[in-house]
Amino acid sequence: MRRARILAGTGLALALGFCGTSAWTYAQARADDGLAYGRERDAALADGRRALAVLTTIDASTRQRAAGSVRDWRGVSTGPLREELGATAARAGASARGTVTEAAVTALDTRSGTAKLIATVRVETTPAGTGKPAVDRKRLEAVLARTGEDVWKVKALSAVPVQGEAVPVQGESEESAR
Amino acid sequence: MRPTWPTRGAGTEQEPADEDAGAQGPEEGHDAGPGDGLADSGAEHGRSPGARLRRAVAAGAATVLVLGGCGFLRAAHELRSDESARNRALTDTEATSRVAGDVGSALARIFSYTPDGTAAAERSARTALDGKAARQYTALFDRVRQDLTAQRVTLSTRAVRTGVVELDGDRARLLVFLDQTSRRGDDAATTAAAQLTVTARLEDDRWRIVDIKAR
Repeated sequence: MRRARILAGTGLALALGFCGTSAWTYAQARADDGLAYGRERDAALADGRRALAVLTTIDASTRQRAAGSVRDWRGVSTGPLREELGATAARAGASARGTVTEAAVTALDTRSGTAKLIATVRVETTPAGTGKPAVDRKRLEAVLARTGEDVWKVKALSAVPVQGEAVPVQGESEESAR
Repeated sequence: MRPTWPTRGAGTEQEPADEDAGAQGPEEGHDAGPGDGLADSGAEHGRSPGARLRRAVAAGAATVLVLGGCGFLRAAHELRSDESARNRALTDTEATSRVAGDVGSALARIFSYTPDGTAAAERSARTALDGKAARQYTALFDRVRQDLTAQRVTLSTRAVRTGVVELDGDRARLLVFLDQTSRRGDDAATTAAAQLTVTARLEDDRWRIVDIKAR
């Protein structure tokens, strides 16, 4: 009887020890700075990609729809860009649909909640009426800020300019790059 | 009915205890040493329901603790091995800037040449490229080499932005923005933009480009 009780006690103590160690391991992983940083980077990348797709898209087939697109823009932007976009007058006209083909986070500060992102976007522009769509490829750089509700939004957006005095020749560069 | 309750209750209470002792007596005898078998079963007899309950609680608690421990271990393992944990882009600053620098300068070297020859660019390409990228590059140069010298084309390439999308041990995927300035003979120079997704592999402590895709 005593032996059984000692066995049971030892078993319980072992189980408790095992559970405690595992919980501690989990807490360590949870609090690991490197892991948290990686998760934050992926969150910024995912939110940034989604935001850039929205910001390069406008459905301006009617005035109402254009106003809806502008509302979407305001939903994914923050700070100065948001104010700038809010002042945009919604008009019917050419529509555009942007798709982010590739994106990378180039800088991330989790403490201040800011990130930089570069992305290539394929924009399909359809003129008003029955115009044929034209495809354009853009390279963009965006500054993201983490907002209160833990979502990354675009604070500034610009095209990465070609640093040369001449006009870019798209076809030639693509050929030589391959 | 009423008066029978207490007696019946006492009877049912007594019965299982008796059965219990009968069933457990021999078991205890096997478990415990031969000497104290009798005394033990006597003690068991007195507090059998309590002991059983206690034993069940202990077994239940141990099971819950072990299961909980397994759950924590599993969750910790998932945290450490999921996609964002394996990707070392930016989390490993040194490795990130190294692969970005290596790939950026390699692209600049292999896509820069003068009319006097593409030999230097092609030599760089042999050390910096591998696999599919090397085959693509050779095919391209075999096609344009004659024209390049005939038309006296100068090309200089600079990487203006480099971003590491993925970095997992010895493999990396990068997004590179290039500015390419070309000049044909005595014409004015033109600068064009190129965007590439580059896959690189770490071999002998050196990053080599294995695939290039225009974006």
